[in-house]
This record gives sequence, C-alpha cells and structure tokens, in this order.
Amino acid sequence: MRAALGVLALAVGTSAAVLGIATLGLGLRRGDERLLRNGRRYVFVVLAAAALAAAAMEWALLTHDFSIEYVAENNARATPLLFTITGLWAALEGSILLWALVLGGYLAFMARRFRERATDPLVAWATLTGLAVALFFFVLMLGPANPFKTLADVPSDGAGPNPLLQNHPLMAFHPPMLYLGYVGFTVPFSFAIAALVTGRFGEGWLADTRRATLVAWGFLTAGILLGAWWSYEVLGWGGYWAWDPVENASLLPWLTGTAFIHSVIVQERRGMLRVWNLSLVIATFCLTILGTFLTRSGVVDSVHSFTQSAIGPMLLGFLGIVAAVGIGLIAWRGDRLRAPGRIDSPVSRESAFLANNLLFAALAFVVLLGTVYPLLAEALQDRRLSVGEPYFDRMTTPIGIALLFLMAAAPALPWRATTGEVLRRRLLVPAWTGAGVMVAAVVLGARELAQVLTFGLAAFALAGIARQFAVGARAHGVARVVRSNPRLYGGLVVHVGVVLVAVAIASSSSYSTKREVRLRSGESATVRGYTVTYLDSDRERSGQKTTVSAQVRVERGGDDLGVYAPAISTFPNSTSGIGTPSVHTGLREDVYLTLVSSPNERGRVTIGVAVNPLILWLWIGGGVMALGTLIALAPSLQRPFRRREPTPAVGLRRQNDEEREPVPV
Amino acid sequence: MTRRLLPWLGLGLVVTVTLAVVLWPDGAPSDSARARALAEEFRCPECQGLSAADSSASTSRAIRADIRDRIEAGQSDEEIRQAMVDRFGESVLLKPESGGLGLLVWGLPVAALTLGAAGLALALRRWRRQPAMHATPADEALVEQARS
Amino acid sequence: MTRHPLRLVALAVGVAVAALAVVLALQVGDDQLQAQPRSELLGDGAPDFVVTTLDGEKISLESLAGKAVIVNFWNSWCLPCKQEEPALKEFYERHRDEADFAMVGIIRDDTKKAAGSAVDERGIEWPMGWDPGGRAALDFGTRGQPETYAITPDGLIAGTQYGPASVEGLETLLAAARGQR
Repeated sequence: MRAALGVLALAVGTSAAVLGIATLGLGLRRGDERLLRNGRRYVFVVLAAAALAAAAMEWALLTHDFSIEYVAENNARATPLLFTITGLWAALEGSILLWALVLGGYLAFMARRFRERATDPLVAWATLTGLAVALFFFVLMLGPANPFKTLADVPSDGAGPNPLLQNHPLMAFHPPMLYLGYVGFTVPFSFAIAALVTGRFGEGWLADTRRATLVAWGFLTAGILLGAWWSYEVLGWGGYWAWDPVENASLLPWLTGTAFIHSVIVQERRGMLRVWNLSLVIATFCLTILGTFLTRSGVVDSVHSFTQSAIGPMLLGFLGIVAAVGIGLIAWRGDRLRAPGRIDSPVSRESAFLANNLLFAALAFVVLLGTVYPLLAEALQDRRLSVGEPYFDRMTTPIGIALLFLMAAAPALPWRATTGEVLRRRLLVPAWTGAGVMVAAVVLGARELAQVLTFGLAAFALAGIARQFAVGARAHGVARVVRSNPRLYGGLVVHVGVVLVAVAIASSSSYSTKREVRLRSGESATVRGYTVTYLDSDRERSGQKTTVSAQVRVERGGDDLGVYAPAISTFPNSTSGIGTPSVHTGLREDVYLTLVSSPNERGRVTIGVAVNPLILWLWIGGGVMALGTLIALAPSLQRPFRRREPTPAVGLRRQNDEEREPVPV
Repeated sequence: MTRRLLPWLGLGLVVTVTLAVVLWPDGAPSDSARARALAEEFRCPECQGLSAADSSASTSRAIRADIRDRIEAGQSDEEIRQAMVDRFGESVLLKPESGGLGLLVWGLPVAALTLGAAGLALALRRWRRQPAMHATPADEALVEQARS
Repeated sequence: MTRHPLRLVALAVGVAVAALAVVLALQVGDDQLQAQPRSELLGDGAPDFVVTTLDGEKISLESLAGKAVIVNFWNSWCLPCKQEEPALKEFYERHRDEADFAMVGIIRDDTKKAAGSAVDERGIEWPMGWDPGGRAALDFGTRGQPETYAITPDGLIAGTQYGPASVEGLETLLAAARGQR
C-alpha cells in the first residue's frame, strides 16, 4: 500500500518532468507563450510528487512497514522516533529521495519567483534544465535506487539504521543541510546553461540567481560544519575533519562555490570573467554530482559510503553528459563571451578577486587530486595507495594562509587602482595589529609557522573589518550602514566567522594534548591541569543497543566541572563497539573523554582524555558565517533588488565603496 | 617619499624578525614528536580514513607502541616506514611517495598554481600596456543585448 | 579577433575531465570491499611471535619449528569468528593427532576475561594464545579478524585467509604449508 503509493508518486513525478521538458521545449521552439506558461506549472507537480513519495516513505518508516526493503534495512521496531524519522536519509535510496524533494522545492521556488517572466526564454530554459536534472533523479529512483522495493518474505523486525547514524541528534540536521546546499547549486547551474543557450550571458543571469547561490552556499557551509561537529561528538577520535573522501566531496563544491560568489562581483562591476563564472557554476554542479558518485558508488572506501549499488554508472553517465554539455556550450559560445573589460592595476580589488579565485581553484584541485589519486594509481599502475592528512595538510595549509592574507587585505583595496595614501589609511593599522599579535604569539611560545601566521593574519583581518564597520558606522550608525549595503557587510560578517574557524583550526591542530589513562574505581589522573576521576561504570540496554558507560568526574584546580559519561555501545548489526565521547565544552578549551576499553577483569577502565583548545569557536564561527549569509540575503535599502534591470556593467557604475573616496584612475 | 614608506618598512622588519625566530632551527625533534609525526603518516589498517595517530583501534595502538620501540632501538624514519610497508603494503602510507607516480599528486597542483599565477601576471601586464578600449557602437549594441 | 585565452584552459579542463571519467569508469564494478587484500608476508618468513596460552604455556614460532602451522586470529565478540568456528573445529579434529601439525589461536583485540570464558563456553580445544600489546597481530599485518595464516615447517608464510574460513579452505592452507599445492 505504502510502497504502491510511493511508486505511484515517483511515476507521476517522472511523467511530470518529461511533460514539462517537452512542453517547454516545444514552447521555446515555436515561441508559443501559452506553452511556456503551461510548462512551468509541471514544476509544482514534480514537487508534489516528490513530497508525496517522501511522505509515503516516512509513513512506512513510522509504521515499521518491513515489507519495504529500505525500511527493513534501516529501521527496527526498537529504533527511537527521531532516528525513525531520520531513516529517510540513513541510506542511499532514501537520500536520493530527499535529494529529489529538495530539488523539487528549489525548482518550485524558482518558478514562483520568476512567474511574471515565464515567457522569458532565459527563465524557460533554466526551468527546462532544472526539470531535466529532476528527471534524472526520478529515473534513478524508478531504476537502480528504488526506495520502495518490496520484500517477498516480510521480516518480523528490521535491522535498524547503521549504529553510527543513531547516536546523535545532529543526524537530524547535518544531512538535510548538506543536501539543501548541494542541490541548491542546481539553480545557478540551470541559469548558467540557459544563459549559454540563449546567448544572454551578461549580468542578467547572475542577478537572477544571486540569492539562490547564497542560500545554497550558506546551507552547504552549515552542513559541512555540522558534519564536522557530528564527527567530533560521535566518532570519538577527538578530531572533526579527517580528509575522508566524503568530507572532501562536500568541500569541493564549497570551494568552487566560494570562488564563484567572489568572482561574480567582478563581473557585476566590470563585466569581466564571463567564461570563468559560467565555468565555475558548471564545475560546482559537476562536483556535487561527482561527490555523490565517488561516495555512493563504492569506488573509494570511506566511513560514509553506503553499500555498493548500480547507481554508479548512471551517476557517472549523468556527470559525463553535464560536463560535455557545459564545456561544449562554452566552447560554442566562446567568441561571443569575450568581455570588453580590462584590469588597470595589480593592486586593486578586482586583481585581489582574481588571486582569490586562483587560490580557491588551486585548493579545489588539490582536494580533488588527493581524493582520486588512489583511483589513478590503481588504474595506471595497479597499485593500492592511500592519501590522507599529511598530504592534504601540507598542500592546503599554504594556500589557506594565502587566502587568509587576501581576506585581510583585499576588502580594503579600492576598485580599479589605488594610491599609497589609501593603502596607508586603510591597511597600516590593521597590518600592525596583525604583526603585534604575531609577536605576542611568538613571545608566548608559539613556534609553528602556520599557527603564527594564522594568528597574525586573523588579527589583521579582524582589525580591517572592525575599521570598515567603524568608518561606516561613524557616518550613519551600524544598522543603517549595514542595511544600505547588506551584501558588503554581510560578507564581512562571514569573514569574521572564517577568521574564528581558522583560528580554531590552527590552535586545535597543534596545541591539543591527548593521553590514555588506566584507572580503577576511585583513582584519578591529571592531564594538562584537569583531574579526571573514574567513579563507576554502568551497563544499560535500550532498544537494540547495549551501552557501557563510565562515570568520570572532571575537576580543574579544585573546581568541580561535573560528571561526564563516555560510553561504548554495541549493536546487534555491528561487530565492533561504537564509542560515544563525552565532552566538557569551554570557551577556552574542551576536555574530550572517551571510553577506550570497558572494565577488565580487575575493574580497570582505559579512558582517553584529550584537551582541545578553542574548539567551541569552530561552531561559533560557523554560526557567525550563517548569520553573515543571512545579512547578505537581506534586501538593500539603497538599491532595492531589481528584477529586470541587472546592475550596470563595464565600470559604468559609481564608486560604491564604503567610503566613496575619489580614487585617481 | 621615505617618510611615507617608513611604517611599511618597519612592519616588514617586525614580521621578518618574528618569522626568523619561528623558523630558527631548535635542534632535532624529540622522540615523542617523531613518533607522533610517524604515526600520523600511517593509515589505521582496520578503520577507514583515520591515521594510526588518531584512531584508538587495537592495531593503531600496536603500531604506536611499535614505532616507539623502533625509535628507541635507533631506527631511522625510513626504516620504520619500510617495516610498516612490509607488513601492510604501500596502502598503509597516507603520504604519497615523493617520486614516481607521487610526482603527479605533489607536482601537478604546484604546476597548475604557478601556471595560473603566470597567466594572471601576463594578462595584467598586457592590460596595462594596451590603452583603455573604447567601445564601438557595435560593441555597445552587443552589450545592450547581453544585458537584456 | 584573437581567440579567447580561456578557451585553451577550457580545452585542458575538458581533456582532464574526460581522462578522469575514463579512470572512474574503469573502476565502476570493481568491488573494492570484496577484493581480497593480498598479504604482504606471503612467501616471506613468518613473524617471530611469542604468545602465552590461557593455560599459561608459552608458544612461539621457534617452539613450532618443523611443523606445518595454522595460525588463526580470533576474538570472542566477532561474529564471523563464530561463523567459522564449526569449520575450525572439524578441521582441528581431523589433524590434531598428526605429529607435524600444529594449530594456534591468537586473541586479537579482546580482553583476557571475555576470551577465556568464550573458549570455555564454546569448547575450543586448540591452544589459544594471549598476545600482549597486539604484537603478533601487528607483525602478521592483520587488518581484523578472523584471519588465518599457514606456516611451513621451515617458517615461511605459505597462505592466508581473510574472513571466515571453510574446511576446504583450511585444507588448502595446510596443503600449502606442507608444500603440496
């Protein structure tokens, strides 16, 4: 019944996508406005169908309908309600369904926003492209990734979700956020393809998709950081980022997407970088598909990879088509894409944006290459190799530091050209602040180049941002000035978040202390000023899981910081135990406790104690980045968002810098 | 002129001195630092994606203990790496080799970045040399069309 | 009109993407998880292990010299170990009285208490060695359990089995250890 409903919904969605594509295609060919208006309506049918299918799946999960294979594999009668609901994205088929639902949502928003322009070929082509992507995912679900496959022998109970996925409430937020990010890039992608097809690759499509891109980017950022948080709170190895292929897969579109958000500004201002921006958008979309392929087809092994499945070849085929269409269209339109602009000085805002893009592209290249290198090695030389942290750290740290430098200096650079006077006024104090912090760090004992540079540049950047806010606020007050150009100030707030994240990464990666202590009940050990005392341990069964937890009191200098309970849980569908860390979180440092081994014959436990500095600031930084994104999305009071009229290009625009100072050209 | 440059020169001096202090070699790394750095280079054979330094799996602890023993016995980093490869195969190394196929993964990004930077520098130079372009009516028509 | 310089870049990217696609396409269907890893030790001298059985007896590679040895890494909580137990028992019954045969279990990643009670409960009769610090497990390059190794009378590794073994598989291993492949 539920399965039938689900399959019916999928079939409806597929047909709606096909009909929509056909109607729009025909309408575009004949220039028939009635067809174009009708065509866009199918988007809503696609959304309704995806929602219905997802509802059918949730219904099946909530009622433990084990006649559906997916439910039997990812749910059990004893699974708690929260993890029954999150079962929708606990495995491959369900997450494709979530993907389709989110895509339907984005497309419907797009169709609604552009309802008055339904007959505009640009919008029609974009809708058609979006529907084509949706069609692919529906076909995937009707074919190899069918979430509603039924079982002939209905088991009396299901296997339950993967133990790692039923251990923390963050599981409810991290995957949907990531998908909202991943899928959101379909909107700018659709418009980029539409711009190429219609030949209107001016600034129109950029203005049309600015918000969608920012929304997708914001969700992706939040999703990645929530993933890091989940990893820190659940996996129990004390870190938050392991350069696992799946983590890399989510980082790749983020890197190109971030590059795009910056380079767009150059095109809006100066009308340059058209090919580059189109390429970045198409690359970002391709990377979301590549990421899904890498992690869901089983070609690379990873903690995240689900079981093998036949969707690999289909994803690869889709990726091939998208890349071929994208590159083909750009090559076809190449000559007309030539932009009339030029850059006057290497020390200018636009040059800084170019450098930013070069570095982000290089970063993406490093991450991509490191991720696929084992595959290359196997294909070329039949050798099994791995690539991990030592490689990624060595390669990404210098690029990251260079980006931090740009982030500190570039927002102060004027467009077109600059003078020594402007540089002195805008940069000298922040730069000296940074240098001061560097000296202070070294005096306090920091001896690692990357850390010292990160702290110094972070201070440089913060001081620069503070100056920019102060200059604006002096004239009009913070609220007014932010509302007059939310995009600029929102961006600066995002930069503050990035600084926090960078500092947290730099300090936690080299100033953590990690020890293992073996204690009998009542014994204590001291790690970096924290005294941990093992009190007792418990064994508890709830649902499918058996948990052994140790009560550990944490004290510092006589202050009782409370009792924490790191645990190891075992599940019937997993061979090894799943450790659950317990963390005392502080603004300055975390005490991260893990139960390494449960009480042995002599009642001794092994407890892992790690003291990690400034980790909390990673999550706070993430929150600040999200806040900045929200600010940047707000409508500008000065220049309300104009739908039909894109921002003037080719340097015609007035200086709209925060200070509006005359810049000699 | 020099008065104006003075604060920048001072800044450069302070930064250079600080970095020199940071980079000043302070003797060979301690045994425990060496052990930690080596453990970070090895992949934990029974878990996915984590290094032997990060994971608490039984093999990883054994690997860490083994590295300490071997350092005490006076083995070089290279000997210790070889001992690990002899047991678990090349895939235990998380850091790609510096020659052979490894050149690809280490060298390509550097080459791409250098090429990109050179390309940018070249483009900037060309832009500076050529006079600002004046749009012809045909260009303007094109721009109009593109902006519609 | 000069050609747009980015066209070259686009071409290069296109070629790179195509190459990557070919590589990826070659790997699809290559089931990495099922592909048996090959032991690096195959054909080399077996590690010089020393374990103490739960009854307190010392067993080492040296003490077993001259015999064909089957070494089985095991623990109490691993399900595949339980799965291969009947095969190990049958195989051990067949050969336990042969003078040139020895079989040793080595406990991997477990507590002595849990392993000891599992050995008693399940009636495991071959000597089960406690491996302090996971030394032997490391030297054999184990990646998990169960793993089974066959050692020739002169101390070379002749065969390996990752995952649960069958009686036939064990016989093949023993034959290899005796040089009768």
